[in-house]
Amino acid sequence: MKILVAVKRVVDYNVKVRAKADGSAVDLANVKMAINPFCEIAVEEAVRLKEKGIASEVVVVSLGPQAAQEQIRTALALGADRGILVQAEGDLEPLAIAKCLKKICDDEQPGMVLLGKQAIDGDNNQTGQMLAALTGFAQATFASVITVEEGSAKVTREIDGGLQTLSIKLPAIVTADLRLNEPRYASLPNIMKAKKKQLDTVTPADLGVDPAARTKLLKVEPPAERKAGIKVADVAQLVDKLKNEAKVI
Amino acid sequence: MKQFAEQFKAIVGDKNVITSKAEMAPYGIDRTTLWQPNPSLVVRPDSIEQVQQIVLLANQHNIPLVPSGGRTGLSGGAVAKDGEVVVTLERMKRILHYSAPDQTVTCEAGVITQHLQQFAEQQGLFYPVDFASSGSSHIGGNVATNAGGIRVLRYGGTREQVLGLKVVTGNGDILDLNRGLVKNNCGPDLRHLFIGSEGILGFICEVTVRLQPPPPPQSVMVVSARAITDLLEVFQCSRKTVTLSAFEFIAQQAMDAVTAHTGQHSPFKNTSTTPAPCYGLLEFDTPNKANTITDFFAQCQQQGWIDDAVISQSERQSKELWQLRENVSESLSPHKPLKHDVAVRMEKLPEFIARMEVKLAEEFPQLQSVWFGHLGDGNIHLNVLKPEGWSEQRFGELATEVSGLVYRLVWEMGGSISAEHGVGLLKQRILGRQVAGTEVKHWLAARNSFDAHSVMNRGKVI
Repeated sequence: MKILVAVKRVVDYNVKVRAKADGSAVDLANVKMAINPFCEIAVEEAVRLKEKGIASEVVVVSLGPQAAQEQIRTALALGADRGILVQAEGDLEPLAIAKCLKKICDDEQPGMVLLGKQAIDGDNNQTGQMLAALTGFAQATFASVITVEEGSAKVTREIDGGLQTLSIKLPAIVTADLRLNEPRYASLPNIMKAKKKQLDTVTPADLGVDPAARTKLLKVEPPAERKAGIKVADVAQLVDKLKNEAKVI
Repeated sequence: MKQFAEQFKAIVGDKNVITSKAEMAPYGIDRTTLWQPNPSLVVRPDSIEQVQQIVLLANQHNIPLVPSGGRTGLSGGAVAKDGEVVVTLERMKRILHYSAPDQTVTCEAGVITQHLQQFAEQQGLFYPVDFASSGSSHIGGNVATNAGGIRVLRYGGTREQVLGLKVVTGNGDILDLNRGLVKNNCGPDLRHLFIGSEGILGFICEVTVRLQPPPPPQSVMVVSARAITDLLEVFQCSRKTVTLSAFEFIAQQAMDAVTAHTGQHSPFKNTSTTPAPCYGLLEFDTPNKANTITDFFAQCQQQGWIDDAVISQSERQSKELWQLRENVSESLSPHKPLKHDVAVRMEKLPEFIARMEVKLAEEFPQLQSVWFGHLGDGNIHLNVLKPEGWSEQRFGELATEVSGLVYRLVWEMGGSISAEHGVGLLKQRILGRQVAGTEVKHWLAARNSFDAHSVMNRGKVI
């Protein structure tokens, strides 16, 4: 079974994001970029399925600027076999991404597509679901356990207030949640090997997709700063302030 | 000393003289646990003028003073065990001046190191001195102990950051040293005498430090090697290839202790089958070209210097890999280790470790030693562990002998018996014995010049 994994290049989870002074976008100058954490978990799961002998090949796809090659190389260093970069500048919306992935699914015929449940930049949580609709594959989102059986898979989903286990037919779309696994480190010997692995570049036009955005970004601004607290002299003043200033009692 | 409480109150106000034993206790100790706190009074001045008046009063009545910052020291430099008056600068925590053209900030000594780091960040700049206790330590204490930490390799210690100091000497003079200048060649630079003086010359009250441009994103690599000599080759090679911020060393026993204590996996769990005798942790600017790293690695592997290596792909992984190094101390603490913070020149490091291991094995075959530290600074922490089943007392009886052995070899090989933790009370005696003669004579002369009545941190350092 071939597994297709989608990875997104995003600002590193631990970087404090800043808005540009003119509010037009997030400031990406001199900022550490990384694989979206949920996508990294999806890559790890695919590699583990390959190590167990369940997957025969792991193909990793990323959509984004040329620099997104770095994230594909990282995935290859973690153990994926081959990469595809769909090179496109600017913000890509989930629907455009899902349409590109659909075309790649047509070409590659994977038994399973693994994605992160959402990317930490847009927080859309749409691509996996849209891809399921476009391909007609079964879908299981927010996966915390994946067990592949003959022609089907059992997927435990993290849902509000508990867990839900589904049995889905393959081919299927599965999106990874945080607890699915703990991704490994890229070892330098594997980074060396990854340099020699195949990485093809295509464009959305090659796939017959128009990536033009359907929404317009109006403004980006940081959240309002919290005011500093104050010290009160005694209980009476506290009660007075709660009553007359905060008006909560 | 308690009889002087009223006179101190006249200087700093009633509220700012602490007299109750319970409230005073925390002001009488640092992070060491060997001494019981016993201050007579705790005085909390709010200005350099108040500090000066306190010192003058102390001189008049022969009152011993202990200067007090964040009290995160590891050598007892801030301990008040003999009824001294503790003078804490915790109220003096104002940032006084930021100069954008100079990229400097002037602040009072009681500013917490982390607040200074945050202030620098707000200006789009960076204060590079950082270590585990930066959330509690004061900049004044950092200067007094020349605090080092994790980025000394790249930026130097606190000494390299200080452009100006305002001090009150033990005699009560206010000196404005170097006045924040980059260039100032007017006579001997007394600023550097106060940096690392551990409070025996006077009070550091105001500090001017330089700020740096923030470093580019960092990558962390952990390499496994068969010998420390190989790691030193890796160090030299990596220095030429990438911009290093840190190069740390973890011996296998230390790595085993961390993985056992914290449950964190070895980074080589998926790749290597046998554990390596030692590990190096490198932090460096993420290169623009990925080839830089792989070429570097290829060279190291060709030479047989390293067996394996992993590299962080995200900040999260960087932090996890750093934890392997940062958690060593904590992971060894159940073994009640006898700690040594020593340094030798890099070129002597392999010989030093080899000879030390032979000597320890010969004279104390029953003891296990664990090595780790800041390899890039030539600074090694040698921890000798208490054997399983031994009482602390039985182990303690050997401590002087073991440390004596260690310090003798360090000194013989031209090293330092206290690379970054200072001398304080802990190594006062041993320092006197090792730095025999001439150098001590000049230290005493300097102290006598700044603090004729020896009111400052009596019994510490020398």
